[in-house]
Amino acid sequence: MSYLSTHIRVVGALLVREMATRFGSKPGGYVWALLDPAAHILLMTMIFRAIARAPALGTSFALFFATGYIAFQFYQAMTSYLNSAVRANRALLSYPNVAPIDTVVARFVLQVGTTTLVAFIVLGTIVATMRVDTSLHWPTILEAVAMACLFGLGIAMINCVLFLKYPLYEQVFGIVNRPLFLISGVFFLPDSIPAPYHDLVLINPLVHIVMGFRKGFYPEYRAIGLDMNYLYGIAFLTLFAGMLVFTLSRKTLRNE
Amino acid sequence: MIRFEQATKYARTKGIKKPIIEDASLTLNRGKSVGLLGRNGAGKSTLLRLIAGAIRLDKGRIVRRGKISWPLGFQGSFQTSLTGEQNVRFVARIYGVDTEELIAYVEDFAELGPFYKAPVGTYSSGMKARLAFGLSMGVNFDYYLVDEITAVGDANFKKKCQAVFETKLQDSDLIMVSHSTGTIRTYCDCGVVLEKGKLTYYDDVEDAIRAHDINMKEN
Repeated sequence: MSYLSTHIRVVGALLVREMATRFGSKPGGYVWALLDPAAHILLMTMIFRAIARAPALGTSFALFFATGYIAFQFYQAMTSYLNSAVRANRALLSYPNVAPIDTVVARFVLQVGTTTLVAFIVLGTIVATMRVDTSLHWPTILEAVAMACLFGLGIAMINCVLFLKYPLYEQVFGIVNRPLFLISGVFFLPDSIPAPYHDLVLINPLVHIVMGFRKGFYPEYRAIGLDMNYLYGIAFLTLFAGMLVFTLSRKTLRNE
Repeated sequence: MIRFEQATKYARTKGIKKPIIEDASLTLNRGKSVGLLGRNGAGKSTLLRLIAGAIRLDKGRIVRRGKISWPLGFQGSFQTSLTGEQNVRFVARIYGVDTEELIAYVEDFAELGPFYKAPVGTYSSGMKARLAFGLSMGVNFDYYLVDEITAVGDANFKKKCQAVFETKLQDSDLIMVSHSTGTIRTYCDCGVVLEKGKLTYYDDVEDAIRAHDINMKEN
């Protein structure tokens, strides 16, 4: 019991510390963690609205793009922040009370909260300023978000270990991870991709996350090819692999 | 009480595997301060970190009864962009001690004045050391781990550290690593000699020092 309460205490302390250090030096502090991505998304949305004539779904390009981007961010912002969770806090591991997993949990909680708030700010703004009423289907949205977070957590836990063990892998991961944004169905609907490539695109679990998330905003969207079982399978498998690697590599993480 | 049960730990660097302790069993009882002796590179500091629980054994286990400190005066955890006070608050939180009490204690002890509320990055090394020492003294432990006491601050501050340290030692024990046998003699009742992966316990610190000297002569 005291074991658990120590973990909870440490995670709480790390949360405050992360919030203070991530944006602490700038005036406004943590508010920037919200404003920065929100402004980024709004700006990108506006640019794409100017370029594209009509969105692939519905009438609002802003909503189309923002739903895709935010669903993607639940994975992307998570991994990019959590990949270095242990490395960035390594000095703290000299306190026997602080376990490597605490740093991951603290960042996970902080990032889920941050992206959620960003989603509310951006999508809230867009939905509120739209002329057409949108009916949201919350279970579908939450399901996609949950899978994005768990999948991201799994990948990040694997990376926490592998980045430390194999610096070369970090480079490779960066190269592979970057174009994910383009092929995950943020700008386009995977449904519209012709036959041989359609199946290829659907291998990427992020495509399913984006599709699932969008489905919650567009009741008329059929999301052909969306396979929630596949998504659940991949997400939990990744998370399991992450936990396994993380547990087996305690020594690497503690730096001995 | 701290008990080693068939504890084994290897140090690995670049493919070289060297035993720090091998199959060591040993019991350290409460009420006695221990001096850890051993030659350079024998792994005394690693042993200290093992006792703290900051790193793990390869085999066996260490049973700990009582609260064990981090190495006295440890500064590595200070986040330079946070203020001294924020850093203290963090440690108070992870150890579950009264936050305001610890903040007040360290503020009074470390004599940082207005700098207490300034980022640690702006501190001189002496100020950082005072903050770290104050923090170590502000949390109550059953065992304090000391890796080479380094004198902190000017003569007055040293006197103050000495005084606080002595009061602490009435209820707490020390586990101390030092190359100075004089320091070990002053603070420790018993001794442990680490030599070639073996831990040998001596109930009298003088015996430990003698054994250590013999080891050093043999070379």
